[in-house]
Amino acid sequence: MTKGTVLDVVGTLSRLGLAAVWLVSGGLKVADPNQTFIAVQAYDVLPGGVVSVVAAAMPFLELALGLLLLVGLGTRLTAVLSGLVLLAFIAAVAQSWARGLSIDCGCFGGGGPVAQGDTRYPEEIARDIGFLALAVWLMVRPRTRFSLDGRLAGRVEEPVRTS
Amino acid sequence: MGGAERNARKRRQNQGAGTRPAAKNPVVAARKAGGDRNKVIIGVLVVLVIAAAVIGGVIYTNSKKDATAGSAIKVATVGFDVPVKRDGATVLVGKDSAKVTVDVYEDFLCPVCGDFEKTYGQEIEDKLTAGTVKVRYHIVNLLNTRSDPAGYSTDSANAALLAADEGKFLPFHKSLFGDQPEEGARGWTKDQLIDLGKAVGLSSQTFADGVRAGKYDAEVSAAYQQIKSTDYLQQDFGNGQKGFGTPTVAVDNKVVDTSNKGWLANLVGNSQG
Repeated sequence: MTKGTVLDVVGTLSRLGLAAVWLVSGGLKVADPNQTFIAVQAYDVLPGGVVSVVAAAMPFLELALGLLLLVGLGTRLTAVLSGLVLLAFIAAVAQSWARGLSIDCGCFGGGGPVAQGDTRYPEEIARDIGFLALAVWLMVRPRTRFSLDGRLAGRVEEPVRTS
Repeated sequence: MGGAERNARKRRQNQGAGTRPAAKNPVVAARKAGGDRNKVIIGVLVVLVIAAAVIGGVIYTNSKKDATAGSAIKVATVGFDVPVKRDGATVLVGKDSAKVTVDVYEDFLCPVCGDFEKTYGQEIEDKLTAGTVKVRYHIVNLLNTRSDPAGYSTDSANAALLAADEGKFLPFHKSLFGDQPEEGARGWTKDQLIDLGKAVGLSSQTFADGVRAGKYDAEVSAAYQQIKSTDYLQQDFGNGQKGFGTPTVAVDNKVVDTSNKGWLANLVGNSQG
């Protein structure tokens, strides 16, 4: 296996992994719009009318990013957008932590206020940084296997050799 | 991946295209132009997919949340008649003969209050009918921002107080908890509250006007501010967190633990014994 092949495989796994994260998190939020509203509101950052729009739009933004990554269309651009969204999430969780709010991030559904001892800010931020690492890989090296990008570029996909 | 490797690969590619530099090779130049065009097309596609998902998603979510807009609040009936008296933002219900007065603090949007009513509503009705207990309802707007759009807690509290003015508090209260909106949901509109009023016999213009104008809104908010800072109503939520929450039940300025199923029977038994 050449070095390029290994990097392609790592990239492909990053792409599909990040796609799965977005599809699952978006899907869980779409399934319960009322809870998503409560989760967004709990961050106590946005005014009421904006909370409503953000809570309605965000799950579908996540689904769209997930879908684009799944098919591998515009991988680099989608990775950049994913990174920006993840940075926003990290900032939102960090400000809740810094201000001493007691909330669940609602990253994968749920969310809203929780008891003071039940917050998990470090874990939530660490998890988002992990996802961010996947996005950064794809920004730096968007070349992956089984992607629409590859097809559209007319690139001949090398067969995966296992040696 | 290091920059060195990338450069090495580019060198190899250039070598593959011949000895001439890539930029001067017409085939490579054409391919590169095609690649740039593809990139633009892909970029546009990505933006379109995201825009379509977000716009479509907002429309979908709003229509899903608006699904309750055309419906009517289910009417719950109360098959007995006891005196009902409004005083400020509280409503005192029950026969004068009752020796025990229970203070109940509720918010119409609060899901735990809904559970409380499901669990103990019937038992409270029985005690009201028997004339052993009076209930003083304190309707608060603790969760006023938790409906989308905000305001259901206050609107419903105001409407319930107006219903109390005309003696229809109990069926109004029971209906709102029986058909309770979820937190984060639309909440019932003023018009829907007025229609519920009509259904339980509140056909006066005073009621409808009062709901629309928010006649008791200020009183509800002021009463809640006072309740929030009342010492004996503070409860320990664990983890060192203290505060006022709904539902809270108190008798003689002391909070009653309603997780004990026999709390109401105990109160009546104590007063009789």
